[in-house]
Amino acid sequence: MPLATKILWSIVGVFGALAYGLAIGGVIRKVMARIQGRIGPPVWQPYIDLGKNLSLRTATHHGVMSFIAPIFRAAGGIGVFLLVPVVIGVPALENFSFSGDLLMVMYFIFFGSLGMALGAAEAGHPHSPIGISRGLAQMSSYELPFALAVVALAAQAGSFSIREIILAQQGGWLHWNLFANPLAAAAAFLAFLGMNMYAPFNIVGAPQEIPVGPPTEFNSQFLSLLMVGRATFAVAKIVLYMDLFLGGAHSLPEALVKTFLIYFWSIFVGAVFPRFRTEQSIRFFLGWPTLAGIAGVLLVIFSH
Amino acid sequence: MKTIVDDIRTRFIVEWEHQQREDLRQIGVRPGTVVPLLGWLKLHSPFVQLTHMSAVDWIEEGELQLTYLLTDPVGMRSLMVCTRIDREEATMESVHALWPQAVTYEQEINEMFGICFPGSPRQGVPFILEGWDDMPPMRRDFDTVEHVHAHHPSRPGREHTDPRAYIGRVFGERGFLHDDD
Amino acid sequence: MESKKLPVLPVSAPPEGSVPHAPLGEGCFLGETQRPKAPKLREALATIKNWFRANSLWVMAYGTGCGSIELRPLTTARFDMERFGLAMRPTPRQSNVLIISGYLAVKSLKRVIRAYEQMPSPKWVVGLGSCTINGGMYWDSYNTINQLDLYLPVDTYIAGCMPRPEALLAGFGYLMEKIKKGEANGWHHYLENLDWYKENQKKVITAWDLPDYNW
Repeated sequence: MPLATKILWSIVGVFGALAYGLAIGGVIRKVMARIQGRIGPPVWQPYIDLGKNLSLRTATHHGVMSFIAPIFRAAGGIGVFLLVPVVIGVPALENFSFSGDLLMVMYFIFFGSLGMALGAAEAGHPHSPIGISRGLAQMSSYELPFALAVVALAAQAGSFSIREIILAQQGGWLHWNLFANPLAAAAAFLAFLGMNMYAPFNIVGAPQEIPVGPPTEFNSQFLSLLMVGRATFAVAKIVLYMDLFLGGAHSLPEALVKTFLIYFWSIFVGAVFPRFRTEQSIRFFLGWPTLAGIAGVLLVIFSH
Repeated sequence: MKTIVDDIRTRFIVEWEHQQREDLRQIGVRPGTVVPLLGWLKLHSPFVQLTHMSAVDWIEEGELQLTYLLTDPVGMRSLMVCTRIDREEATMESVHALWPQAVTYEQEINEMFGICFPGSPRQGVPFILEGWDDMPPMRRDFDTVEHVHAHHPSRPGREHTDPRAYIGRVFGERGFLHDDD
Repeated sequence: MESKKLPVLPVSAPPEGSVPHAPLGEGCFLGETQRPKAPKLREALATIKNWFRANSLWVMAYGTGCGSIELRPLTTARFDMERFGLAMRPTPRQSNVLIISGYLAVKSLKRVIRAYEQMPSPKWVVGLGSCTINGGMYWDSYNTINQLDLYLPVDTYIAGCMPRPEALLAGFGYLMEKIKKGEANGWHHYLENLDWYKENQKKVITAWDLPDYNW
């Protein structure tokens, strides 16, 4: 495929991911509302919110870094998405997958939050640094089980390429890493709860506590850029998990179903749990998920 | 309850007492004995908690009444210690050394009634009335209506009824506040 | 949503011939009005933007008086304001609607002005309860203002003491209709007549220590 076509398809893919991420956000709000016995907003409400934020005018100036922070955030989300193959076998939807892309993806997952940390601190509201420091602490702790799971999968497939890992899982659903290495899968899916930051791990936004956390001072277009980053990042994460544990996807509908199920794992957990405190959250990730991750690595070492 | 008031009587001069409810007793003392009495109550009686502190303006007698409401958290009883101070030179000893939360009460009473508590922190610091330039508003010679007309413009078209005449017309000559029968 | 038209009191107008406030600059704030202007494209764009704005009103979660007790039921299952796109935001930077819920003490007025000016434009003010209209039962109180629209531009009044949550929802429906028609221009009125509003505010807030405009 020529490079120009590739770039064009990537742009289409990013916008598709954005649309899908926003739609998932709408479905989540609807599900939460139904659980609470409410009617809830329409499913397309996030699109309206995005359009609304785009048609507001900002009047604030906190400094250059706080202007760049939402761009970092969005770049983190889009960057992760562009490295992860969505549908295997369709060159247009395989994005910029290359050998060793898994390491790059793990770096990019951190990227947005680090940029956000710099910007939110400059905005000056005390809730922003509190939220950021909580977020980075939690991120460092869930990174450990996630990294162990990734190491286990890489050792199992003998490659750090996401494409190779997908291809190693072909030939029936029992070959999926979810069943081939259940310990690594458990570690990674528990880390996923922290990654998505729904309850009980919503200590960054923490409603009623540090009301919205990092984006307290961000408004209008900045906020819409943060929404874009959040939506694409969510899609990138679930696509990555689908590739690593559910054997990737051979068609777009298959990808939609699988990613939707992965995402709602964290929603259904989040709907029934109250919030952890920061130290409880960190202690949780360094406990059973990390042990499961280590066991997953050992399983690979001793069975191969 | 009775025994504690008797105990107080052996140590302090109690001018009057009144059983308001079964679990609420009022005693009246002189201003000079208030702080020693409250200190003794905190150390040697079950009434260890300062629940509330308020003031009343008795303009006809030229006095301001200060009321300290103490509570016995175990026996669920309350004791009100009342004292009257001169209205013109309204000064009272502070009790913030006994209960730190008294600072806020004293700050508010200072703002609303103009009673000075020397030594209490935050005296004269605005509590609710920021930039107040009139007399303390809870003193009864403060003319609220005049102040409002001078400071807060209001939408024309609303008619004013004199509260005293209106309540008299609705509830008869005595008004509706007659709890002493 | 069934939106009944609520009677709206006329907003107190500043004196005739008041000068539009210039120092804020054209580019940063006053450039775009909500009133549709002559070119067709711009008019269509304004209509679309207004539709977005009307269907995603974020309410500042801030209560000044007893009326805020009527705001809480709106988020519950019985009234559920989220189905109209209304959501509570804890920061003025992300809010579009400021509800003055009931009486407003002078001390709160200062904070309210600060919060209002920090909100991104376009923004709207809802006066909830009789106290914001003519003082309500706090008419002769020494420390509450009697008429809100002298200090902030009010787009919708919801009368009552206190109005029920249904009345609040109806008021929001009215505000949404007004925004869609491009008539809810209180924020623009505020900027055009900033001197008049500031004069009124400074008259009642004697301990004035705010900047000229809280960005």
